[in-house]
Amino acid sequence: MNVGILYSRIRKDEKLLLSELRDRGHDVTKIDVRKQRFNLAEAPEAFAELDIVVDRCLATSRSLYATRFCEAYGVPVVNSHDTAEVCSDKVKNSLALEAAGVPTPNTDVAFTTEAALESIEAFGYPCVLKPVIGSWGRLMAKIDSRDAAEAILEHKATLGHYEHKVFYVQEFVEKPGRDVRVLAIDGEPIAAMARSSDHWLTNAAKGAETDSFELDARAEELVAEASAAVGGGLLGVDLMEAGDDYTVHEVNHTVEFKALDGAVEEDVAGRVVDWLEETAASAADDGIEVTA
Amino acid sequence: MTECVECGADVTLHDDLEVGEIVDCTTCGAELEVVETEPPVLERAPELEEDWGE
Repeated sequence: MNVGILYSRIRKDEKLLLSELRDRGHDVTKIDVRKQRFNLAEAPEAFAELDIVVDRCLATSRSLYATRFCEAYGVPVVNSHDTAEVCSDKVKNSLALEAAGVPTPNTDVAFTTEAALESIEAFGYPCVLKPVIGSWGRLMAKIDSRDAAEAILEHKATLGHYEHKVFYVQEFVEKPGRDVRVLAIDGEPIAAMARSSDHWLTNAAKGAETDSFELDARAEELVAEASAAVGGGLLGVDLMEAGDDYTVHEVNHTVEFKALDGAVEEDVAGRVVDWLEETAASAADDGIEVTA
Repeated sequence: MTECVECGADVTLHDDLEVGEIVDCTTCGAELEVVETEPPVLERAPELEEDWGE
């Protein structure tokens, strides 16, 4: 098959995928989205003859538009635009999990600093303020006092992009020094790791230590439900152990798996490519063709 | 081996280089983007944008 890879930066994750695809004899078309011009009616030349496109855009804005264009051109794309739309925005992500009955941290959204401060006071200290768009643990604030809350809110309102004036206020979850990242394909866990740190943020991008993690039946159930809630696909489902249950804090749609690849025995890239082969074959059976 | 566009030091490159990959200059620490592989050509990599991530 001919696999298009939408990218603007080739990370270790993309190299693992490229290597696995080429080892299996597939054609790979690397599509640097920075060089593309997306016409409303005609697909760019790079999209001709593709059996499937994998969205590995680093920038959320590009991911959202590029996947939408793929679908407009009739090119099968994973993950779908709808999944990207839900996962890329923490508000939509949380709403989807809540609607599906998946335990997720209690959250308020407010549009003014005054309303946000009321939410913060209602949650009590500490609580958490997150940007609605963003990743890798950046611009996350654990708020320990009213003084800190007032300062952070003023900074966001004064210095921030308009998206920072949507205040996403969340309860602080006491976790056991780690959270759990599960790589799942259409709800089936492929590999899982615990990310541990002395810091309250346990993102691998923040330097958390990673180790394999064995999922119990409840975690597997929640991963399946969380995946379905956002439309399925290749996802990174993040859970925290909370008391005797879990809470799912987010689902990532352009999941990085290089840290997982080093932490688990599973051939992660191999499983992803298995799924791409199945998905492309299924799309071909459904008669989806590129219109370029 | 090619030259860092930031400081001019030699940058050692591995065999399976990919266009779009980022390599670090071990001398000045600059992030460099691979824009050609045969022969290797490096440019200064774009700065981190706020909406980057997974």
